[in-house]
Amino acid sequence: MSIIQQIVSAIGIPNFSVLWPEIIVLITAFIVFFEELLTKNRTLITATTVVGLLVAFVSIFFIKQGDITLYGLYIVDSYALYFKVFLIASTLIIIGTYRTYFENKEIYFGEFYYLTLFALLGMMIMVSSINLFTFYVGLELTSITTYILVGMFITKRKELKDYDYKSKEAAFKYLIIGGAGTAIISYAIAFLYGASGTFDFIEISKMTFSEEPSLGLIIGLVLLIIGLALKAAAVPFHFWTPDAYEGAPTPITNFMAVVVKVATFALILRVLIQAFPYVSEDWSYLWAILAALSMIVGNFIALRQKNVKRMLAYSSIAHTGYITAALAAPTGMGFAAFLFYIVIYIFMAIGAFAALSALEKSEGWTNHIDDFKGLAKNNPFVALTILVFMFSMLGIPPTVGFMGKLGVFFALIGSDIWWLAVVLVIMSIISAGYYLRVVSVMYMYEPLKKFDFNINFTEKTILFVMAIIVLILGIYPTLFWSFSTNLSTMLIAHVGM
Amino acid sequence: MTFEFEAANIPWITISILIPLIAAGVLFFLDKRFAKPISIIVSAIVFVISTYMLFAYDYSSYKIQFYEKYSWIPQFGISYEVGVDALSLTMFWLTALAFLLSFIWSVNIKKRVKEYFIAFLVLEAACIGVFVSWDMVWFYIFWEAMLIPMFLIIGVWGYAERIYAATKFFIYTFFGSLFLLIGVIGMYVYQYFHYGKLSTSYFDLVNTNLPFGLEIVFFLLLALGFAIKVPMWPFHTWLPAAHVQAPTAGSVILAAVLLKMGTYGFVRFSLPWFPEASKYFIPVMFTLGVIAIIYTAAMALAQQHIKRIIAYSSVSHMGFVTLGTFALNVEGMNGAIITMISHGLTSAALFFAAGWIYERSHSYMLKDLGGMAKYVPVFATLFMISAMASVGLPGLSGFVGEFLALLGTFKTNVWFAALAGIALVVGAGYTLRLYHKTMFMEELVDKNIIHKWKNTHDMTTSEFLAFIPLVILMFVIGIYPKWWIDLINTTSISILSKFIGG
Repeated sequence: MSIIQQIVSAIGIPNFSVLWPEIIVLITAFIVFFEELLTKNRTLITATTVVGLLVAFVSIFFIKQGDITLYGLYIVDSYALYFKVFLIASTLIIIGTYRTYFENKEIYFGEFYYLTLFALLGMMIMVSSINLFTFYVGLELTSITTYILVGMFITKRKELKDYDYKSKEAAFKYLIIGGAGTAIISYAIAFLYGASGTFDFIEISKMTFSEEPSLGLIIGLVLLIIGLALKAAAVPFHFWTPDAYEGAPTPITNFMAVVVKVATFALILRVLIQAFPYVSEDWSYLWAILAALSMIVGNFIALRQKNVKRMLAYSSIAHTGYITAALAAPTGMGFAAFLFYIVIYIFMAIGAFAALSALEKSEGWTNHIDDFKGLAKNNPFVALTILVFMFSMLGIPPTVGFMGKLGVFFALIGSDIWWLAVVLVIMSIISAGYYLRVVSVMYMYEPLKKFDFNINFTEKTILFVMAIIVLILGIYPTLFWSFSTNLSTMLIAHVGM
Repeated sequence: MTFEFEAANIPWITISILIPLIAAGVLFFLDKRFAKPISIIVSAIVFVISTYMLFAYDYSSYKIQFYEKYSWIPQFGISYEVGVDALSLTMFWLTALAFLLSFIWSVNIKKRVKEYFIAFLVLEAACIGVFVSWDMVWFYIFWEAMLIPMFLIIGVWGYAERIYAATKFFIYTFFGSLFLLIGVIGMYVYQYFHYGKLSTSYFDLVNTNLPFGLEIVFFLLLALGFAIKVPMWPFHTWLPAAHVQAPTAGSVILAAVLLKMGTYGFVRFSLPWFPEASKYFIPVMFTLGVIAIIYTAAMALAQQHIKRIIAYSSVSHMGFVTLGTFALNVEGMNGAIITMISHGLTSAALFFAAGWIYERSHSYMLKDLGGMAKYVPVFATLFMISAMASVGLPGLSGFVGEFLALLGTFKTNVWFAALAGIALVVGAGYTLRLYHKTMFMEELVDKNIIHKWKNTHDMTTSEFLAFIPLVILMFVIGIYPKWWIDLINTTSISILSKFIGG
C-alpha cells in the first residue's frame, strides 16, 4: 500500500483511488507554481505541465468505473471518465500552442500554465459532481481561474497596448457578469436546498417523483438553468462572451471556448438528468427557447462581424444553440446527440482557434477578414485546414459537423419538435453567410498584405490532426455515436426517461 | 414493393468513388505537373468502369445490380449501400463521361492547376455517389459534399462576379437540401414509430405508407430540395449567375451532371415515396414545368451573353423532364430519362462551344461575335450538330427524349402538352439565333473581327477529343434510341409501379 493510500485509508475515505487524475493535476499545478516561483525556466514549466497532463491522462484508464467517493459528494462513473479524457486531452493540445504565442507576443508568464491546470481541475470536479456542493466548487474554481487568464495579456510593447487594454476590459466584464452568474447559481442552490433539504442530485430528483414539485424547487431550477446558461453563453445571457473571447489571448480563448464550454455542457446534462428527470418537460421547454434565441442572435450578429475571432465568438454562441437544442428533446436520442455534438465541437473549435493563434503570430495580423485575403496562396496548408473547420461548423458532409447536426435533427423530429428543427435549418443557412465568407476571402481574393508566417511544427501538427479527425469522424462517426448512446443510456437508466 | 438484388463480385461502384478521392489526396502532395495526366487517367478508368457496367447491366428484369451494403452507424440504422438500376447507371455513366471530357478540355488551364484538378476529382466522387447511393444519409452526404468543390470551382476559377455567383449557388442549394434532410428524417422517424424499423435505406422507406397529409408535407420538403437543384422556375435564379461565372468545365459539369440530380431526385424519391401527393401535385408540377419551358425560353431569346442563353435553355429543357416525370406514365418517364441524358450531352457540348468561343474572342457577348463559320469549319460543324440536337431535330438525341416526354404528357393532359409543344418553337428560335449570331452574319460584322477569325486556330486536339464523343453519342441516341429505351424501360415501369400497377 502506498503512503498516500495509507494516509487515506487512515482517514477512512472509501474509493479514494478514483481521485488519482485530479490529484495528479493538482500536484502538477503546484509543482509548476513553484517552478515559476523559483526558476522561471520556460522549457521546464512546459515540460512539467505536459508530463503531468500525460500522466493524469493515462491514470484515467486505470480507474475502475462507477465509484462514488468523498462520502457521496463525488462520482467517477464512465460519464465523468469519458469527459475527463477529452478535457485533459484538449487542454494538452491547447497548451501546445501556448509557448510560441506568448513568447511571440512577449507576454509569457508561468502563471498561464498553473492557472490552466487549476481550471482543468475545476472542470474535472464539475463533470464528477453528483452534489450541488461539489458542483459549485468545481464551477467556481474554473470560473475564477479563467477570469484571471483572460486578463493576462500584459505587455510592455507599445504596439500591443490595444490588446492589453482589451484583455483587461474583457476580464473585468467577464468577472462582473460571471460573478452575477455565480450569485444566481448560489440563489438557485439555496432555493433547492430550502425546498428539498438536500444537496444530493438523486435526493432532489426523488422530491419530484411522487409529488408535484414545490414552488421553491421550480424557482431553484429556473435560476439554476439561467446561471448555467450564462456560463455556457446562451442568449440572452451571452453578453460577456464576444468581449471575453476577443480580449483574451487567443490560446486562452481556445481554452475557454472549447474546454470550459464542454465541461459546462457535461455538467448541465448531468445535473438536469440526475437531479430533475421528472420535470424534464419544464426544463426542455426552457432550453428550447434558449436554444432558438442563441441560434438566432448568435448567427445574425456573427454575420455582421469583420473580425474573425469575434465572428467565431458569436458563432460559438450559435453552437451553444445547436447543442442545447438537443435538450429540447429529453429522450435518450436527444442526450446522445447532445453528447456527440459537444465532443465533436472540441475538434472543430480547437482547430479553428489554433489556426487563429498560429496566424496571429505574424507581424501585423489583426484577425480582420481582410487579413485572410489570399491566404490559400500564401499558406495553402493553413487555409485548407481552416476550410475544413469552417465547413464542419457549417455542417456540410463529409465533415463531422454534419453528423452533429444530423443527430440533433433526429432527436428533434423524433420528439415532434418541428419548429426548432426548422429554426435550426434556417439558422444554419444564415451561418453559411459568414463561414463561406472566410473560405471565399481565403481562396478567391488576391492577398492584400504580405505576412511572414512562422507556423511551427507543433501548430502544424495540431491543425493537421484536428482537420483529419474532423474528416474521419465525419465519415466514420460510429465509435463516438456508440459512446454517446451508451453514456446517455447510462445516465437515464435509473430515472426512467 | 419488393426488390431483388444482385451483389457485385467486384465492388466497381465503390472503386469508382474511391479512385478520384484517392487521386485527389495524392495530388495534394505531388507537383502540379502531375495534375493533368493523373486526373485524365483516373477519370478514364472511372469511365471505362461505368461503360463496362452499362454493357454488363441486365435489363431484362428489374434488379438492383452491382449492389454493395456495409453497416455504418448501426445505432441509427444507417448503412453504406450502393448499387444501380438503369436510371442510376445511365446517370453514373453520364457523370463519368462528362468528367472525362471536362478533364480533357481542361488541359490548358493555367491558374492554380493542382487545386483545380483536386477540386474536380473530389466533385466527381461526390457526383457519382449521389446517383448510386441507396441509403438516404449517404445520398445526402454526397449531395452536400458536392457543394464544397463546386463552390470553389466557381469562386476561384470563374469570371469577374464569381464570388457572388458561388455564394448564391451555395446558399440556394444548401437552403433546399436542408429541408430535404428534414423531410427524409421525418420519413425515417415515422417509419420507426409505425413499423418499428430503424433504417435509412431507400428500400425500407419506399414501403412506408404515409397518411395523405404527411405525404403532402414530406413531398413539399423534398421537392424544395430537388426543385432548386433542377432548377425549376421560380427557383432557377442561381443558375444563370453560376453558369455565366463558372469556368467552362464547371459549366459543363453544372449542366450535364448537377442539374440531373434534381430531376433524378424527383424520379427516384418523390414518385415512389409519395404516390398520392405526386398525383395531387400534377397540375402544380405541370404548370411550373410549362412556365419553365416557355418563360425561360423567352428569357433565352432576350439574352446577349452566350452562356446565359445556354443556361436559360437548360432550365427550359429541364421543364420537359419535369413534364415527363409527372406525366406518371411509361412514355413520359422514358422521355424524361432520355431527355436527361440528351441534355447532358448537348449542354456539355454547347458549354464547350461557348468556352471555345471565349478562348478565341475573349468575349461571351453576341455583339462581339459573328461570321466565324467560314474560318473554323470543324468547330462550326460540331457546334451546329450540338445546337440541332439541343433544339430536338429528329435523328439527334434531343428529339427522342422530348418527343416521348410530350407524348406522355399528352396522355395525361392535352393542354399542357400543347403549350409545351408551342415552346419547342421558341426553343428552336433562341438556339438558331445563338448559332446564327455567332457563326454567320459575316456581312454585318466589323472588319477587325473578321480579321481575327482569319487568324484563328480551329479546334485543338484536346478540344476536339473532348467535343467529338458528345456529338457521336447525340447521333447514336438519335438514330437508334431503342437500345436506350430497352435499357431504361423496366426501370421506368418499376418506378411507376405504384401508378400503373406494374
